[in-house]
Amino acid sequence: MEFDTQVKLAVYRHFAETAKAPAVSEVARRIWSDVESVLAAYKRLRAQRLLVLEADGKSIRMAPPFSGIPTQHSVEAGGLRYFANCAWDTLGVLAALHKPGTVHSRCEQSGELLHLPVGLDGPGPTKWVFHCLVPAAKWWDDIVFT
Amino acid sequence: MLFFRSEEQVREWCEVNGYPKRPLVRMDQLWGLATAWYGTRLQEDARRPQPEEMRAIFAGLGLHGEFWDPQSDSFG
Repeated sequence: MEFDTQVKLAVYRHFAETAKAPAVSEVARRIWSDVESVLAAYKRLRAQRLLVLEADGKSIRMAPPFSGIPTQHSVEAGGLRYFANCAWDTLGVLAALHKPGTVHSRCEQSGELLHLPVGLDGPGPTKWVFHCLVPAAKWWDDIVFT
Repeated sequence: MLFFRSEEQVREWCEVNGYPKRPLVRMDQLWGLATAWYGTRLQEDARRPQPEEMRAIFAGLGLHGEFWDPQSDSFG
């Protein structure tokens, strides 16, 4: 397996198992490597839009659909509470985990809370909707805003 | 990328904030997007959809138009 793939899987599997972002030292330990090599891989994975790093260049802000920081969008699954980067990513967390769960978020206009059960085949019928302000061609111009 | 209780709530939010109202996505369509993007994310051979694949995914879910074109230059 290529080194960058090992790093990517170590990051994503840490998120899946703990619902938290791994420290770079934890990723290095998991794949029997060193911090410098993992940080170099992080930059390449950022270019592939698989990671978004904080300004320090080593803390993981996003490993989509997982968020490394608390957000208004969260998911309960398998006894853990995951944070997602956006509304889309709440369902993305469950799609990645292949587990049922509950999405917690809110209506951005009214503030009404959303608690949406999601099975292995997706959510049941609901009148809640998803709205994306940024066109697809511009999503990664500022992925945090998107 | 946000949730809203209804289309009316989206309209109000856009008016209050001076944002353009974009195409709405139903929750079943969003589940289709989520599985297409992330269903293999924890696997070794996972990769993000490329532009042509993105177009096919959007079209397959009934999401058409320039807004969903990953290479559109219509939005400045």
